[in-house]
Amino acid sequence: MLDPVMFTGGVYKHDLVTELVEDLGGYLLQKNVTQSEVILLMLVPHEDVNVLEALTKELRGKLERAPLAGTEIAVVTPTLAIHHLPHPACDVAEYLRRHGAKSNMIGMGRGVAREISQMDEYETALINEHDAVVFTFGNFVDCILKKEHLYRTLSVPVIITGGPEMKKEDLPYAFEYVPNVGRIVHRSRKATEIGSLDNIVAAVGRALDSVRASISKDPLTTTPPRVMEAVREQVPDVMQSHSPLPIALDLSGLRIKLPYDEYHEAVAGVKFDEGVTLGEIAKVMPSRMKNYILVRILPTSETGFVV
Amino acid sequence: MEMDPLEVFEVEMPGEDYGAEKYREIIMDILQDLGLIRSIGRLYVYVDIKVPYFSVFGMIRGKQPPLKVRDVGDLVAAEGGYQITVGGEEHMANLIRTLWETYGRDKVEQPDRNVLVVLSDESPEDLVVTDLEAEFRKDLMDALVRIAPEGFRNRRNEMGKESFFFLAAEETITSELVAEAKAKLGGMRDA
Repeated sequence: MLDPVMFTGGVYKHDLVTELVEDLGGYLLQKNVTQSEVILLMLVPHEDVNVLEALTKELRGKLERAPLAGTEIAVVTPTLAIHHLPHPACDVAEYLRRHGAKSNMIGMGRGVAREISQMDEYETALINEHDAVVFTFGNFVDCILKKEHLYRTLSVPVIITGGPEMKKEDLPYAFEYVPNVGRIVHRSRKATEIGSLDNIVAAVGRALDSVRASISKDPLTTTPPRVMEAVREQVPDVMQSHSPLPIALDLSGLRIKLPYDEYHEAVAGVKFDEGVTLGEIAKVMPSRMKNYILVRILPTSETGFVV
Repeated sequence: MEMDPLEVFEVEMPGEDYGAEKYREIIMDILQDLGLIRSIGRLYVYVDIKVPYFSVFGMIRGKQPPLKVRDVGDLVAAEGGYQITVGGEEHMANLIRTLWETYGRDKVEQPDRNVLVVLSDESPEDLVVTDLEAEFRKDLMDALVRIAPEGFRNRRNEMGKESFFFLAAEETITSELVAEAKAKLGGMRDA
């Protein structure tokens, strides 16, 4: 069992942390260097977290649990106009990021209004590539009720956020509803506002647990972090990608930020110690996001083995 | 008519109490951002989300005189012309444009960042640098468009000398809708 954790500390000697995690059989998911500080997102074996804690203390760093690490979450706003951005959508996305998630902001092309709002096939498919989605709606009860058709066809858990208090029964297609977020034109800074953001993180956590539970009924042939490790080793070009996170993990696979046409064969040809290639245990397909590569690991029931 | 800044500010949204309260905050935030609060005396907002439409009626406080050259800087007669020393740079761009338009580019010099010299016998004292009133109306329009929910793409506005009326709706705006919104806002003012 791997624990998702986040290390925050100085750049000096932080390689000791990454080396230790590798030695323990954990994975480094993401490394962000901001001037003299470094943030590391890692998966560490549960029984070895104390060892890492001891090292963190020695380095005067901070080690926190990052419950959303290794997941991709979409934050969807009805449009990209000033009415919906930057507050509160950026607050939500940033808050999810601080808890370890990779959050992507998506502004719909025609998401506004009650009667004319619509979501097209491309947007639906793009959102479905994520593990969960957070919709940021406004302050009117009536509008939130009438926008149900935007997310009815999605196959990932949908968290709706809005202003007013509403009953869960009124939104049958939503996984959960988080109130007191709504449209605001200032940054979230009051305790109540930050509390609402905490509620969103908790709701997303529950949504991800439901996804994990459904995956565990038919486990994946291998784990996404292991694939990530193998791709990093055998397709070294991925480290030259300009994206801040060249390989983004989600619960059932990963997104590799390399052009599909040039690299999908190399990715499908990645070999594991057991002798199988990635192409045999996963679907390698074009992602809806730019021309990236999307890898979906097949469940055990389809491959008949676990590596 | 003498009024205090925002002496009356009412928001009514039948069936949407939370929305009314939140929109009060939103309107305050946006008016503050654009520095318009002091120029508005009374503000009435009526929203019917079932139709739906969003309407605003406001009374403008006092009239702002146009900003002239003597208001934005110190003017002294210098050799062969006039020298203007500007305090802040807020109106610099408008000031230079006005001087260029009046005297021509070759007659206006800028020896220092905040100093302008006009080579002419005619004093620029009474030239209008900025029409604050027009600027205010532009900002007010911008604020109203920002305040109204984004889905309400059809807009109508009537700017008067002392008041303004703004209506935004999702469907085509009909004269009946305008009349209804005006009647509701009128009711709020009389209450």
